[in-house]
Amino acid sequence: MNPIVDIYTGASNGLREVWANKVRTLLSMSGIILGVAALVAMVGIVQGMLGNMRASFERSGGVLRLEVYPREAPESQQHIAGISPGMTWRDIVAIEKAIPLADYVTPIVDMSWESFIANGRRERSMLHGVTPDYAGISNRKLDYGRFIADSDIDAKSPVIVVGSYIAGDLFRNIENVVGQQLRVRGQVYTIIGQFEPTASRGFGRSRRGWNYEDRMNYIPATTAMSRYKGDDGVNRIEILASSVEAMPDLMSQINNTLTQTHRGIQDFEIRTQDEQMQELKKLENSFTYSLGGIAGISLIVGGIGIMNVMLASVSERIREIGVRKAIGARGHDIFIQFLAEAVVISILGGLFGLVASVGLLTLAQDLIPQGENISNMPVTAMFYGFLFSSLIGLASGIYPAMRASRLDPIDALRYE
Amino acid sequence: MPKMSSRLVARPSFEITMSDSRTVFELQDIRRTYQVGSEFVHAIDGLDLQIQDGEFIAVIGTSGSGKSTLMHTLGFMDSPTSGQMSFEGEDVSHIGRAERARLRSTRIGFVFQSFNLLPKLSVLDNVLLPLIYGRQNPTNKKELGLSVLERVGMEHRASHRPSQLSGGERQRVAIARSLVNKPRLILADEPTGNLDTKNRGRIMDLFGSLLDEGITLALVTHDTEVAQYAQRRIRMEDGKIVEDDGR
Ligand SMILES: Nc1ncnc2c1ncn2[C@@H]1O[C@H](COP(=O)(O)OP(=O)(O)OP(=O)(O)O)[C@@H](O)[C@H]1O
Ligand SMILES: [Mg+2]
Repeated sequence: MNPIVDIYTGASNGLREVWANKVRTLLSMSGIILGVAALVAMVGIVQGMLGNMRASFERSGGVLRLEVYPREAPESQQHIAGISPGMTWRDIVAIEKAIPLADYVTPIVDMSWESFIANGRRERSMLHGVTPDYAGISNRKLDYGRFIADSDIDAKSPVIVVGSYIAGDLFRNIENVVGQQLRVRGQVYTIIGQFEPTASRGFGRSRRGWNYEDRMNYIPATTAMSRYKGDDGVNRIEILASSVEAMPDLMSQINNTLTQTHRGIQDFEIRTQDEQMQELKKLENSFTYSLGGIAGISLIVGGIGIMNVMLASVSERIREIGVRKAIGARGHDIFIQFLAEAVVISILGGLFGLVASVGLLTLAQDLIPQGENISNMPVTAMFYGFLFSSLIGLASGIYPAMRASRLDPIDALRYE
Repeated sequence: MPKMSSRLVARPSFEITMSDSRTVFELQDIRRTYQVGSEFVHAIDGLDLQIQDGEFIAVIGTSGSGKSTLMHTLGFMDSPTSGQMSFEGEDVSHIGRAERARLRSTRIGFVFQSFNLLPKLSVLDNVLLPLIYGRQNPTNKKELGLSVLERVGMEHRASHRPSQLSGGERQRVAIARSLVNKPRLILADEPTGNLDTKNRGRIMDLFGSLLDEGITLALVTHDTEVAQYAQRRIRMEDGKIVEDDGR
């Protein structure tokens, strides 16, 4: 007659029943608690990891970044492939001069893994030769010092910008390592800049970061060429477009320019970040669906647990149902009462699950790498986890509540 | 006083022509048949009965004679298989479950042999339970509950659990519960069956005092002494009334 009163009465009856059977209720809730906690914690952790990947993607130029890689010349050009000089410093100059759509251009002279030595310590990290434009593409911040300048390129200066890994490991007690010296393959470098760690700030850890970017170190491209390579070859070229709209034009202009410098030989290919972006999205989706599926199954199992307990509760309380009916309860009242009980159990279970998930995520924060944009809780997952667990409780309460509401009062009263 | 098997036997067909407004129940040719396997059990087998306002009726009879079945029928907990039945002038022979629940919660109070209090609720909450289902929402619920508890002399145990009470006390609480909705009729199925002599007397005195408040009372008993409290005695046998000293 008055649904609000019905629900209020049902819920308070339900709560009383839950309170009277604390242990049993807790056991029956455990499925829901675990389901919600697992859902929220897993989503939180995965979001954290993927968030890190995305952040690192964004830091490296995002979708505006183009890369030019060397490639074998096509079959039709194999016999004259030798006339191409390959990818060289001249490609950089040509692009810089001819293509205003390219905001930043840098060669990567890739020295790959090298041993870095200082203070009697040795640490392996990566070394790249680049130009000042690299700072514009990578978008990374320096804690101290400066990045490579044009004058360093011209003078082939023996200077290096180090990541937090080298800074933290080779110079353990020095916060600012600018001005320190280190050696790589017998060559001495003066540190002119020190990158900010990509992650873990504010967690009381060392300056040492956890992403591979923190193990990257940079010297002037010309220095790398003259000291190690002995020629002006580059391993690849990185370019940052001025805008997304400019990308198609930029790509064909790069193609034209390089075709010219490579004397018509198509021994290079231009790659965009698009594929990586798609991969990342696919990864996110597959994680979301598989985790959602697992959590969904555990919630359904939790629902079966609640149904089981509710059925037991109904047969345990047949006499009570008979009494309630004898003094005027309609089937509908009994239905609401038992349904409310199931919903109260699942809502409480869902809340406990949320609390547990916050605990799990706080624990996990010390175990997984954390980026600046992900330390917060997965609110959406919490919302859906809670909603879904409540719905499961509602669904699993319907059948037991129906059984209870259909009991005949006389049979129920006679029941021993 | 002449003994009559029934007052209404001669009536050719049932019409809602109540003799007067003081008639609470009028039953004609009521049957309640159970089928057990291929056998039919006639728990009530052609019963006629009229109950007037303010009457105190004791139903007696051998075990299995249909006394409880009659109480369930009068209490709208069970429907007759056939026959005509009217309550307060309304034909109630064919009413549905919801309407029967409404009548149970508003017009009838039921008292059981085994008390049937809910063990997890306090005495007061037990007494207030019918109000929830009666859909009345009196503002002074608690006072109402306490006043009926006072009526049965149990107000000092309002916050106790039923398990902390003696049998007689429990039955008094159960009577308070049956009173809280201000029913027209109180039905009691062997209310003193589980009580000792002293408590039996107290409960019967309590029932007797309810009559002064205009409540109609029908109770089942095996105890001839208890039956002496009533103004009218009905004896049942094989689902029929074989003796009725009230007319
Ligand atoms: N659900 C049922 N199914 C089959 N038979 C039933 C059912 N309920 C009652 N009966 C039968 O109906 C008859 C009357 O039962 P009822 O309970 O009304 O007797 P009673 O007069 O109250 O007996 P007692 O004094 O022992 O309480 C009995 O023979 C009983 O076996
Ligand atoms: Mg009986």
